[in-house]
Amino acid sequence: MGTFDWIRLILGCIFLIIGLVIFFTELFGVFHFHYVLNRMHAAAMGDTLGIASCLIGLIIFSGFNFTSLKLLLIIIFLWFASPVSSHVLARLEVATNENLESYCRIYTDLQTLEDDVINQPQSDSLTEAASGGSAAEQDTKGGALS
Amino acid sequence: MIYHSIYITVLIILAVMIFACLIRAIKGPRIADRLVAVNMIGTMVMVMIAVLALMLNEGYLVDVCLVYAMISFLAVVILSKVYIGIYEENRHSADSDEKEDKGGMSDGNF
Repeated sequence: MGTFDWIRLILGCIFLIIGLVIFFTELFGVFHFHYVLNRMHAAAMGDTLGIASCLIGLIIFSGFNFTSLKLLLIIIFLWFASPVSSHVLARLEVATNENLESYCRIYTDLQTLEDDVINQPQSDSLTEAASGGSAAEQDTKGGALS
Repeated sequence: MIYHSIYITVLIILAVMIFACLIRAIKGPRIADRLVAVNMIGTMVMVMIAVLALMLNEGYLVDVCLVYAMISFLAVVILSKVYIGIYEENRHSADSDEKEDKGGMSDGNF
């Protein structure tokens, strides 16, 4: 093996290990959080970044041929598909959960959310309220559209 | 030879992770938990198929991986739509039952 082959091997291994670590983080997040709308954040990360890193590592192993182009096509397809499926899953959860208010704060108006964020900029509950509120906000928008 | 051992290691790690995802899919208290876990299993199986395509040196397995990605996306979207539809239907039928006799049951635990 020449120097180029060793560089290719090490670079591909680094990308594969990054992808596996991101998959492990996704798994840890899914077991760590207690509610679906929190778990979904961890799960959507692996769908885009984890599989992209793994497939980039495999592309480096494979070299430049049709197989690597098809792997690139899979990455690009998942970049479009994964946010859509996450959004649809969030809509499923928000539409079918009857006591959603016990899990997260719900903002039916965007102005209320902005006022709430501006009024308490440094608190700990900011991120939680923003994530839960934005999911509910998206659902009300989508429900109004459909 | 060194590539072969790397592929085998990645496949074993992914298989263990898929078992953990399966535990989440069985334990998940709500229907969206199970769908999220199934989506994760689909992603990891896609990486496994891509690794196998390079390990066995068969280019057509990447096409299988692409079709798998599309079908997994379609399954999640259609299952979500079907469950929302079932929920709405149950709620409407429960409402109409309550109008007929006052003791309608509420199926909120879906």
